[in-house]
Amino acid sequence: MAVDERNLQVLANFCAAAADAMAFTLMRTAHSAFVKETEDFSCQIVTREGLAFTSPRHFGAPWYSGIDYRPLLDMFDSYAEGDICVTNDPYSGFVATHSPDLHIWKPVFHEGRIACFVVGHIHNTDVGGAVPASLSRSLTEIEQEGVRIPPVKLVAGGVLNDFVVEVLRANVRSPDQNGGDLHAQLACVNVGERKIREIIRRFGFDAFIEGVGMLLDYADRQARAVLRKVPDGDYFFADYADEDSVGGRPCRVALTLRIRGDEAELDYTGSDPQLASSLNMPTGGRERHPLVMVGLTYVLYTLNNDILLNAGTLRPARAILPEGTVVNAQRPAAVGMRSLTCAMTQIVTVGAFAQALPHLMPAASPGGNAILNVKTADRAGRPVMASIGPVGGGGGGTPFCDGSDGAGGATGFLRNTPVEISEAEVPVHFLRYGLHPDTGAPGRYRGGLSAVMEFRVSSPETVVTARNRNRSLMPSWGVQGAHAGVVSHFVRNPGTAGEAELGNTDVVHCDPGDVIRVIGPGAGGYGDPFRRAPEAVLADVRCGYVSPGSARADYGVAIAGEGVRAQVDEAATAALRAATGTAASGMFTFGRERVAFESVWTRERYDLLTEFLASVPVGWRFFLKHRIFDTVAQAGQDGAVREQMAAIFARLRAQYGLPAAASA
Amino acid sequence: MGYRVGVDVGGSFTDFAVFNEADASIATLKVFSRPDAPGAEIVAGLEALEARHGIAASGITYFTHGTTVGVNAVIQRNGDDIALFTTRCFEDVLQLGRLKIPRIHDLYSARPAPLVPRYRVFGIAERMDARGQVLLAPQRADVLAAIESARAAGCAGIVISFLHSYRNPENEKAVKALIGEVAPELPVFCSSETWPIIREYERTITATISGYVQPRVARYLDSFERVLRERGVACPLHITKSNGGVMSIDQARAECVQMILSGTASGVIGAGYIAAASGFPKVLSLDIGGTSADVAVIVDGQPQYGVGELIGDFQIYVPSVSVSSVGQGGGSVAWVDEMNVLRVGPDSAGSTPGPACYGRGGVRPTVTDAMAASNLLGHAPLGYDAVVVNRAAARTAIAPLAQALGVSVEEVAGNIVAVSVSGMYAEVSGLISRFGIDPREFHLFAFGGAGAMLACFLARELDIKGVVVPPTPGVVSALGGLIADLKNDFIRTLYINVDDAGVAGLAAPYAALRERALGWLRDGQGYTGEARLTVSADMRYQGQSYEIETQLEPAWLENGDTRAIVAAFHAEHERLFGHADAHGAVQLVNLRLVVAGHTPKPPLLPLPAATDAAVPLKTVAAWFDGVQLETPVYARMQLRAGHCFGAPAIVAQDDTTTVIPPGFSVNVDGFGNLLITPQRKEA
Repeated sequence: MAVDERNLQVLANFCAAAADAMAFTLMRTAHSAFVKETEDFSCQIVTREGLAFTSPRHFGAPWYSGIDYRPLLDMFDSYAEGDICVTNDPYSGFVATHSPDLHIWKPVFHEGRIACFVVGHIHNTDVGGAVPASLSRSLTEIEQEGVRIPPVKLVAGGVLNDFVVEVLRANVRSPDQNGGDLHAQLACVNVGERKIREIIRRFGFDAFIEGVGMLLDYADRQARAVLRKVPDGDYFFADYADEDSVGGRPCRVALTLRIRGDEAELDYTGSDPQLASSLNMPTGGRERHPLVMVGLTYVLYTLNNDILLNAGTLRPARAILPEGTVVNAQRPAAVGMRSLTCAMTQIVTVGAFAQALPHLMPAASPGGNAILNVKTADRAGRPVMASIGPVGGGGGGTPFCDGSDGAGGATGFLRNTPVEISEAEVPVHFLRYGLHPDTGAPGRYRGGLSAVMEFRVSSPETVVTARNRNRSLMPSWGVQGAHAGVVSHFVRNPGTAGEAELGNTDVVHCDPGDVIRVIGPGAGGYGDPFRRAPEAVLADVRCGYVSPGSARADYGVAIAGEGVRAQVDEAATAALRAATGTAASGMFTFGRERVAFESVWTRERYDLLTEFLASVPVGWRFFLKHRIFDTVAQAGQDGAVREQMAAIFARLRAQYGLPAAASA
Repeated sequence: MGYRVGVDVGGSFTDFAVFNEADASIATLKVFSRPDAPGAEIVAGLEALEARHGIAASGITYFTHGTTVGVNAVIQRNGDDIALFTTRCFEDVLQLGRLKIPRIHDLYSARPAPLVPRYRVFGIAERMDARGQVLLAPQRADVLAAIESARAAGCAGIVISFLHSYRNPENEKAVKALIGEVAPELPVFCSSETWPIIREYERTITATISGYVQPRVARYLDSFERVLRERGVACPLHITKSNGGVMSIDQARAECVQMILSGTASGVIGAGYIAAASGFPKVLSLDIGGTSADVAVIVDGQPQYGVGELIGDFQIYVPSVSVSSVGQGGGSVAWVDEMNVLRVGPDSAGSTPGPACYGRGGVRPTVTDAMAASNLLGHAPLGYDAVVVNRAAARTAIAPLAQALGVSVEEVAGNIVAVSVSGMYAEVSGLISRFGIDPREFHLFAFGGAGAMLACFLARELDIKGVVVPPTPGVVSALGGLIADLKNDFIRTLYINVDDAGVAGLAAPYAALRERALGWLRDGQGYTGEARLTVSADMRYQGQSYEIETQLEPAWLENGDTRAIVAAFHAEHERLFGHADAHGAVQLVNLRLVVAGHTPKPPLLPLPAATDAAVPLKTVAAWFDGVQLETPVYARMQLRAGHCFGAPAIVAQDDTTTVIPPGFSVNVDGFGNLLITPQRKEA
């Protein structure tokens, strides 16, 4: 049966059903909470060339719809029926992007010919390495991030290679869990294979191959239709992750978005050099690597909810990923926390599109959703460990409505852990879990409120980790006259003499009775808060989401009365709003922390830094970046930036014997 | 001897099923629903029963009723303004939910607004720990202030949901007592009473939905009861439940949350009963109406139960018959998108204005129009003389699509059906994967207005045994309510390790649950027959985040038989997942008990045997997949047991049309079911 526009939707539905079947099988049979609670997995069906054409409709991590498995498929000269391959090595093919992600692929044969591959990954809770769960910002080399399995035929011609399984088991902290998850992955691809064979029987081999091509073309055409509505131009945007290491410097992710007709180029030149921490993204410089395209995928989907997401969606786009930077790290850079940096790439993508489509793009969600883990001991002294959930900021304000509270926008895909489950599992006592007042940045449509979690630990040698936390230095930005967000907080013993703000540390050792408080970074707003409907401000005040003080100062709304009896004081509000508003001018409001930083580190200065660092060997860049920041901090801003920086660079070249103009 | 009556009020029609205890016959009746005047359809039906079947209200000995009043209140957001009392500093439980946003790729996506806005949520200074120890008891002054605020906010009821109340309801009970003392006019809903499960959001939303719909449902039930009494119905009244059982109307008034999904549950119960009694042990029930197709897995007459069934924007966690729903039905609208690709749904013409071919103002082409344009419908009146199928109107509605795609109306009509069915296929396929069943062992059991019209098309895509169409597909839900047992669920969260120490502590909670269950059945429902008790536990390996319900023997609990309990869990894990960890530590989270009291079931009446071959009414030129075929049309009334014929074929009856495309053969079984079997494909 030939495939054409009359039955393309039929093929699309059948393929989606196959991918759903894979996801259901995985969720039903996997062991780890990452699969069942946070849905950190993927399954796809990819063409013989490796391009994903179908993903599950409602399940799994949202980053991989356009993934290209070609580098992994090409690892083997030939495939036989019954082969199943795996790898978790980020530096072998750049499909796995940190070591907990074990990727799997299996060819689907029809009468001796390969029709497609069924693929996917699970985030394993632990794959060994220096720290439990294998991930910490503080790790500096890939070797510390757990066992790596290079691409290997785990099953060759239907026979399982036990040695591979034993190597995995021997190197991890909970081998049974990894074993259970691996079995689930095998079941998943086997179900996918069976489902695809049914589809091929229905349509025929040639029509299937042709139809799959049409699914990619369809998504391609849809994406181009969206991009055609974006004005041509170059749109630059940059944002900063928290310090690049403990006590380090901000890490910049920069993007120049070039829209030409129905195509988009995402040029990440200007992003910082790869780091001696685990924030690096292993992309191999591949121009449609999913990690640097997540933001684009979100933007396209937001502009057209009907868009089909597959590798075709990304065809009109390409990325430029300079080698040796955080967006294209070289071995042996640690990559475990690449999700934090990936969130920054999403944020700068939204920021760039916001300039092209100011009335359609929201303020970005702030990123940096802290994944909290507690490792402690129970009453009998036995070690217990539990993930007690993500704590992050809300969604950015949008042109039409407030941002989603507690989680939203690009970081709204995680589920939380019930307080009752956490308290039943580990001896911690929760003091608060909810939304924190005045954390949604004021705007005509405000940012979503941040989540707050506060708990007390009760055993000695308790370790709390807040992985993936961000924005303790620079807040999330607002757009169209709205305010910027507030920075995040990670505090030990708040409100006591021993109160300690923990900065960007992601691991803290606690004593019995210590209280930990985490507040997510605030999301930016959209539009002038003085144009927010007074009733909406009143509702927020009644709900306790906005304080009367903020209502007055930030929104120009005077509230009389308290609690459910609170009312808008119309006259006072009119007077407040008649006076000069607080609306920021310009497209973006960056917040005072970032404004202060960029008063020194202007775009010009940063461009010079980028140019210089690109000219030295990769291994020197992080080191030199810190020397340069130190020097600039001491020197202050005397005279012309270009001359000052040139002098600093020349001095460093001389001091360390670097060639005058090396280039990679 | 008298009449047992089941009534199911749906969006378009209200169905009656009447079981005559004297001769075991079943009469059926359909009247228009009256969303504008709930209760009016009941009166109309009672009058019609008397007029057409000579059944007097005073002769009715048993009455069951299912209604969508509760679920509609949630979907339409027109429930009452209520307050929520939570543990202080945890007031945002409804706002946060489980955090995940509905559309994860959409930067505008947000969780639905909660049923109780945050300004009507009041934190109470109180605290329980995970072991059920009271750390802080509620203080009178504090609670009084919250009640005062709730009153000031105009709340019509109060939901109380405190942390760890599943373990110890003491603090919730204390606050409830205080409200009863100072504000007796406000109904109170404790999460520990509604459904005492661990996980604060799930327990709170369940209690909240209960409180939100209760006043509206209770008012409806009051007027329903008054109407029946005024008409002379004197027997006890029962209400169908989401768990596939029934309960007394008094319990329904107090626990509206139990009936919220009773409509879909009744259909599945009815389907399961007919299928099992007809000798089909494993079926997928397929209920297709105007806007959606509902599918459920039934084994030996027993449906699967789920928690977290969707109600509007929210999930509810009381045990409910598990039904998967996809937005494809007879009214789903076909269109051509900007890429010139044919699509069907998610828009639906519903029952108003309905498909174009019904001539009630609909102009957009629907799946039903595609069937009509293919000349597959309208060969006998549909919907009790309510609609006449206008094939020309269907063709007119589809013509623009045909033009856009450059093919004939009949060809695109075939494509519309295929696209719609592929959407249903995707949902059924997911269900098959989710429950890990083998479709080759299952029949599709088709009912609802459009089930029989589309079931064979869906069966073509599934590797399934066949399709069963019962004699009266339109009243399966009403019948389901009629035959449903009295049934209630009980749960106790224990959260223990399954070792000898933990298991020793099971006997007492089991005995307590058993006593409550028997009390519910005997005292609450006035049932004197034998009680059927089913015990199970939600268990998991330590470290897993999801539990598996495992059936247990009461003796294991009474005797502390750790080995048997652990072995049962390993076996269930092995059955579901294909592997088990014999050395893994096992946790028992919840102990569950289901109590049921038997309700008489009408036997299925045999259909007289055929004495000669089936003779079609006529032969028409119809289109299947865009190909014209001479197609015989049979009248369902004229078919007899043992009749068999080939395909293509159309079987017309007054409440539905069964369409059988080529590739099937049809047999009429001894109970009048159409058994439609695919000709085996080459492997």
